[in-house]
Amino acid sequence: LFQRLKAAVHYTVGCLCQEVAEERNVQFSKQTIAAISEITFRQCDTFAKDLEMFARHAKRSTVTTEDVKLLARRSSSLLNYITQKSEELAASNIEQKEKKKKKSFAAKGRRTEEQDIAVSESEDSNMA
Amino acid sequence: ERRASSLQHKSLLSCVTGQRQTLRQETWSLSPEEFEIWDRLYRIKEGDGVKDPVLPRVRFETLENVEGVPEREEGTAQELSLSEWRIWQNRPFPTAMVSHSDRCYHFIGVMEMIDVMRQQQGACSYQLEMERHLHMEDVNIARGRRHLSRQKGS
Repeated sequence: LFQRLKAAVHYTVGCLCQEVAEERNVQFSKQTIAAISEITFRQCDTFAKDLEMFARHAKRSTVTTEDVKLLARRSSSLLNYITQKSEELAASNIEQKEKKKKKSFAAKGRRTEEQDIAVSESEDSNMA
Repeated sequence: ERRASSLQHKSLLSCVTGQRQTLRQETWSLSPEEFEIWDRLYRIKEGDGVKDPVLPRVRFETLENVEGVPEREEGTAQELSLSEWRIWQNRPFPTAMVSHSDRCYHFIGVMEMIDVMRQQQGACSYQLEMERHLHMEDVNIARGRRHLSRQKGS
């Protein structure tokens, strides 16, 4: 399973690097992409443990966007960016909720959604 | 930055000057005696031939930066480098009281991996290994499709 996850990260990092390469007119060696992938994969380990601790610190067992924001606390640029994204997300969540008022969200669905955000944000910050 | 460094010096000075002055230590700033010691022994002055050490600022290449521009003039400060001695960083350095964190071991692990890959030309062993384990349902294909053919071909 580890290898499968790593492979997915590697593939995604490759795509993101390709975008950057085209934008900035530079090239990444395959080894560079491999290194960024490995860093991202390992950073997810750090993020996951931190998020769990942040949630537990607030006596919660569910990771929320507030915990994710704490991951970005070291840079105000990054924190601004994450906060803005989280507000956009919250706004679209409310929109969706109003649309499907009868179908209430299962808590489980919400949780996986937030975990997805954490992963994609972690990739973003590693790209930086 | 000056403030931070003088705070650090203060704690050092407390060690140096010993318990004798602990009663006076109620104030935040240095006492005249402590200031004299700091000024004589630790303070970096113009004639010392060394530059003020400064830490690099956080900067995001891909985000708008709100951190503010560093106000230091070029040449008067020695920016502490975190990459100058990278070839030493593929193994854990000795510790005194604080052991290495997981995060630190991850860093060492990646530095090791980079060392191994530095010898490689062209084909990447990591890529070959990963291709065997890739399940396309795990990845966001819409984003990557454009690049897929190119990556596979190269």
